[in-house]
Amino acid sequence: MFKLESKYAIEVSNLTKRYEDLVAVDHIDFTVNQKEIFGFLGPNGAGKTTTIRMLTGISIPTEGTAKIMGYDIQRQTIEAKEQMGIVPDISNVYNELSAWDNLIFTGKLYDMPKDFREKHAEELLKMFGLYERRNEKVQGFSRGMKRRICIAMALMNKANIIFLDEPTSGLDVQSVLIIRDLIRKLNQDGQTIFITTHNIEEASQMCDRVAIINHGKIATIDTPEKLKRTVENLQSVEIAFEAIAPDALKKLGELPEVSEAVKEGDKFKLFTSNPSIVLASVWNYAQSNNLKLITINTVGPSLEDVFVKLTGIRPATESGGGTRMGQGRGQGMGQGRGRQ
Amino acid sequence: MTESHKSHLGREARVAWAIALKDMLTYYTRPPSIMFGILFPFSLFLSFSIGRNAPIAQQIPVLIAQTLFFASSSIGPVVIPSERANQTFDRFLTSPVSLLAILIGKTIAGVVFGIGISVIPILIGILFFGSQIANIGILLACMVLSTVGFSAMGIMFASIPGETPGNVMMPLNFVRIPMLFISGVYMPVSELPSWGQVGSMLSPLTHTIELARYALGGETFFGPLVNISVLAAYTVLFLFVGIRFHIINQRKE
Repeated sequence: MFKLESKYAIEVSNLTKRYEDLVAVDHIDFTVNQKEIFGFLGPNGAGKTTTIRMLTGISIPTEGTAKIMGYDIQRQTIEAKEQMGIVPDISNVYNELSAWDNLIFTGKLYDMPKDFREKHAEELLKMFGLYERRNEKVQGFSRGMKRRICIAMALMNKANIIFLDEPTSGLDVQSVLIIRDLIRKLNQDGQTIFITTHNIEEASQMCDRVAIINHGKIATIDTPEKLKRTVENLQSVEIAFEAIAPDALKKLGELPEVSEAVKEGDKFKLFTSNPSIVLASVWNYAQSNNLKLITINTVGPSLEDVFVKLTGIRPATESGGGTRMGQGRGQGMGQGRGRQ
Repeated sequence: MTESHKSHLGREARVAWAIALKDMLTYYTRPPSIMFGILFPFSLFLSFSIGRNAPIAQQIPVLIAQTLFFASSSIGPVVIPSERANQTFDRFLTSPVSLLAILIGKTIAGVVFGIGISVIPILIGILFFGSQIANIGILLACMVLSTVGFSAMGIMFASIPGETPGNVMMPLNFVRIPMLFISGVYMPVSELPSWGQVGSMLSPLTHTIELARYALGGETFFGPLVNISVLAAYTVLFLFVGIRFHIINQRKE
């Protein structure tokens, strides 16, 4: 592990990327503390990957600076790159090489001594459950296994900061859980994690702080819980009746203190800043229309609500990742206000 | 030179060699490498030499030069677009090593390929057509300088944005094929008109052919010193321009 040189793991100042008329990243500033899990959230095309490519030295910024552990990525490139391990959005492994050779080659790129790189490659392959298949060419591996190899390659140089670009995107549930556990473990071991994702629940569960980027600009940076508190008016009451009246959605939307009513499957979601009044109104509505309530929950605002409010975009559904609107709120509820 | 500089240079050299070795293992047997690096120069030679009255032994230097030219300049255009397509080129850009070391590593892969393949026509000439090596030093200089220069030329062309070898091979062949006509392949430089001789002087392939001829006991029009100097100058130029183009690409990334 290299000597820490800076108070911050990452310091970004006025960072900008312009492609002719398009400003992909627009004068952003932020800092990431050491040993922090920092989430970089945003819809597709918001500038997440462009930012990570500038921070890791793949792309040269149009303006601004980025420091990695105090080293300027443009002026002290070698020192800055020694501090980081990178997991890009696609698993860029060498398909023609074996799992072992992929790790050994990565060790050579970092000029690691032979004994050290072989010992560490063995440890990593065992840790990722791939040691038995170390001599097989990676092209025969599943997507999840390639992802694990890619992460192992990022860990070869024992970096201070790990950049992960959409690390769990498109993976099966088992691989997602393995990777999330690993990220937590790396962080517990003292590594700073910079993770870009459009999976809001993942960010909410894992990150110490998140930045939300949209149209190349940072919309907000804070802890997930503080961000949720900024949208108190996005609390909701979730209800389900045994039988649904044809005009139920319209009638429920007209109840006092309900700002919006949404039908989700066999349930209704009533957004409000005052759940207690809405609960009473729903009870009265059910009594007067002779409807039997089978579910009634209050749901606190989720990070997804913050995201939707700031970006105006509803995140895409993703299997295994838990970003669905209903699912996200349910999980947020478990962490926050709870069911009544 | 300080210890720090020595250590830095040593590190750059080790990483460049690691990149070269990886490329050799991974890309030498790829179909575009075989097609453009081996089949192409041999086919061109056969189509040119069959039916001509000139003895084959006299044509062996041309085959050696064409092989050096096509083989070494084909590796970069196969490797770099393929690595761009699966984003493995990004691995180099995020590694703690200079762009120069990365491109030198890629150049070495082309050099070894070019030298390896050019041994075939040399052996064919010696074993079957009575060719004799008159100056081994010049032959080695020809092989090393030409492969370094042409490999760097391939790397320079590989800076053209594209994610398949075809994206780079097409513009590269647009330059490589016309070079055959002004480089003394089909007609000796001495028989070219004066403007043709100027063009010939500017073509690096001319100097490879001349050195190969000289090494096998023939004559050169410009002289081996000029041949060597021009090839060395082109090597530096191609590497420099290649690095500049790759930096421009990073700005556009």
